[in-house]
Amino acid sequence: MTGSLDFLLLLSVVGVPLAALLAPSVVGRWLLVLLYVVQLVELALLGSGDGARSAVSFSLLGHSVGWQLDALGWFFAMITVAAAGFSAAYAAGEWGTLNARAGLSLRWLYVGLQVNVFAMLVLLAAGDMVALFIGWELTSWAGLLLMLLAGGEAIAAARRYIVYAIAGGMMVLGGLLMTLAAAGSLQFDAVAAAIPTVGTSALWAITLLFVLGFSVKMATMPFHLWQAPAYAFSPAPASAFLGAISARMGLFAIALVAIKLIGIVQLDRLYLYFDALNLRNLLAWVAVFTAILPTFVAMKQNDARLLLGWHGVGQGGYMLLGLVMADSLGSAGGLLHVFNHATYQAILLMAVFAVIHRTGTADLNRLGGLVARMPLSFLAMLIGIIGLAGLPPMNGFVSKWMIYRALILEGQPLLFVATVISTLGTVLSVYKLLHNTFLGQLRLEHETVKEAPWSMTIPMLVLCVVVFVTGVAPGLVLEYVAAAQQALGLAPVAFILGGIDSPAGTLDMIWVTAILLAGFGIGAVLFYLMGGRSRRVHQLDNYAGGHFLTADVRYQYSDNFYAGLMHRIRPWYRGSFAWAEEALVSTFGAIATAARGFFEQANPAHWVLVGTTLITTWVMWHALV
Amino acid sequence: MTDTEQFPVRVEQPDRNGGNIFSRVFDELTAFCRSRSLFILHYCTGCGAIELPPAMTSRFDMERLGISPMVSPRQADILLITGYVSVKTLKRVMLTYEQMGSPKYVIGICSCTVNGGMYWQSYATAKKLNDYMPVDLYIAGCMPRPEAVITGLRQLMDKIAAGEANGWEDYYRRYDYYLGHQQRLFGETWQTPTDVIAEARHYGLFGPETLGDHTRLLEQHQAPLEALEMQLGLGAPDEVKA
Repeated sequence: MTGSLDFLLLLSVVGVPLAALLAPSVVGRWLLVLLYVVQLVELALLGSGDGARSAVSFSLLGHSVGWQLDALGWFFAMITVAAAGFSAAYAAGEWGTLNARAGLSLRWLYVGLQVNVFAMLVLLAAGDMVALFIGWELTSWAGLLLMLLAGGEAIAAARRYIVYAIAGGMMVLGGLLMTLAAAGSLQFDAVAAAIPTVGTSALWAITLLFVLGFSVKMATMPFHLWQAPAYAFSPAPASAFLGAISARMGLFAIALVAIKLIGIVQLDRLYLYFDALNLRNLLAWVAVFTAILPTFVAMKQNDARLLLGWHGVGQGGYMLLGLVMADSLGSAGGLLHVFNHATYQAILLMAVFAVIHRTGTADLNRLGGLVARMPLSFLAMLIGIIGLAGLPPMNGFVSKWMIYRALILEGQPLLFVATVISTLGTVLSVYKLLHNTFLGQLRLEHETVKEAPWSMTIPMLVLCVVVFVTGVAPGLVLEYVAAAQQALGLAPVAFILGGIDSPAGTLDMIWVTAILLAGFGIGAVLFYLMGGRSRRVHQLDNYAGGHFLTADVRYQYSDNFYAGLMHRIRPWYRGSFAWAEEALVSTFGAIATAARGFFEQANPAHWVLVGTTLITTWVMWHALV
Repeated sequence: MTDTEQFPVRVEQPDRNGGNIFSRVFDELTAFCRSRSLFILHYCTGCGAIELPPAMTSRFDMERLGISPMVSPRQADILLITGYVSVKTLKRVMLTYEQMGSPKYVIGICSCTVNGGMYWQSYATAKKLNDYMPVDLYIAGCMPRPEAVITGLRQLMDKIAAGEANGWEDYYRRYDYYLGHQQRLFGETWQTPTDVIAEARHYGLFGPETLGDHTRLLEQHQAPLEALEMQLGLGAPDEVKA
């Protein structure tokens, strides 16, 4: 039995009215989760790599527009549908019931989720550049549906997103028109064949327009300001879905256009300063700065959702960096990181929203000690941050290792050091997240907090299993990553079940994990041989320089975390990009105000008279002289 | 004024190994390992604290002996009290000592911990530390130089390796004795969060003098802290069920 792309897209379209119909009831929401399972199965049946073609196609101004899902699109589509399924399950039970009572429209939430999935499938299955543009615009606008749901801060963030998305869309459209002018066709094959004959300046324009346009969705610098607040303040399942996969559509489009159609060789041809700084190096540096700066912005956030949102931006930098290295190891690392990031980011956001669900706040200065009350959420967040920080045995380690290895092999020591700096920031800030939420002193007002309900913890825990299993056996995912690499025209990575086995480097996570667990095992054996004696003590039976502690004493608090480090690096947070954005906005604002003032206050008749007189004078002057 | 009785250092040495040669070998190995990995919690009460930085840092470098500072009593092995202990301080020292996990060792540095030192006249100072908790080692002097501190630490290491530093067991076996001194100084309502009697049972160190008049006095007013249980209240809250 094989799947068909048409059936998948049909399922996806039918899902939209179904979502509107079923979302208000609990059973209906679980049925919608089932719909995602069906979509996932259908996608799995399609299989990676054989290029399922849709029967839907039409002609637009002489260009045929059609859809075809290749291995790259399939890889992203699997992540998309799965992320939507997990998010839908998370909201299906108590979360949905309580939030609907609080005024959230579940109908719009599930419709938004399904519309996003459909839009992304349309983008990922694009068979030519017109279809790509249609999918791109659909995806951009669909994201807005989810961002507008929560109200409050989310509205401002969504408004900012629209401006960026329209600007990005216009750039992509410009690139599209220039491609048409240069290549005479918008079919992938024809464009790819024509690119080597395109002149340098035209190729510069095409590449920049596409890469910048797609970067907006990806939120690479300097377009990084919109993403964290826009994703963070959406409702929980929307935030988990958007954070997991939405921004990666930009990466998909960049990979498709810059690597598959234009090609790495052509990117190398475009240089700013002889051979020293070509477009590929430039992209690598942009990626690295995207990995560093947002990560350190994340570190100083006090809202857990914003912290994770900024990490989402930062991790996108790693993916782009791996991709533009374009060797088999680096590009595989970049693509694998898409999957890995989707899994652990979804866990982390779900855990944070579980805490919000129970305590009503994500303010890292107002939480703490919840490990005794929400141990499963703690476990989920712990596994998630191990993944995000890139430590074995979770899957984030594998992709980061591949990217590091590629940087070393490609002779990029500066980029390597820069990514290490970024990782340092990641480790520090995820510890802040875990510590301020779950460790330390339990607040009096959280004394009666309960663990999140099963409908919320099970999606988290299943994803934890995914993070662990794909960390121990990354070969499970690398199989599809290698197929996606081939679809991009890159050399596929040589993988084994436990990781990488190629001349470029060897990594067997099964061994790494075995050694790691053996270390724990020796400790456990010693502990239990010595009698296994442990005593649980009261949380207030704690040490604070010998003080006698009572529940009303805040002996442990998390305000101004990393005060010492922040004292050193605070002057470096200049907010230059926010300032530049503000300057741009106020410039446009001033121009708009002036124009409006002219329109509203000046008497147009006078200006027409003045203009006519001036023109007449000019004409007469010329006629006379 | 000062209690002139001799130091009542009465270390019991029961044959815990039961004659099993393997467990004896194992115990010796354990004792050796313990003596080579010690974390110190400094309870720096007086002037003696000033001699510890040189003992810790590169000149005398006590980390070469496997000894390094620790910030919390739960992970610490040695409680180092470095000077006079006023009544108020002693309460904190007792609290900290009881929070430490066994096996734990106490070192009193400076003459003040031995006999009150230059504060022997003070009404507010505890004169003899080992009335209140078992002290494994005193390092006398005013203040003892880092060489003396290091020498003392080496002696403690030797005692631990030889299995002789068992003062902590004495605290459980004769809790009533120590509690009596504490009550005499702090008043009858004195209590700490730690349930020492339960711990004595837990460690299997319940002796005939663990309970007595003073523990009975303690039980009359003791308000134990409830152990904080992990909670998995996964059921929906009532308002959802309704």
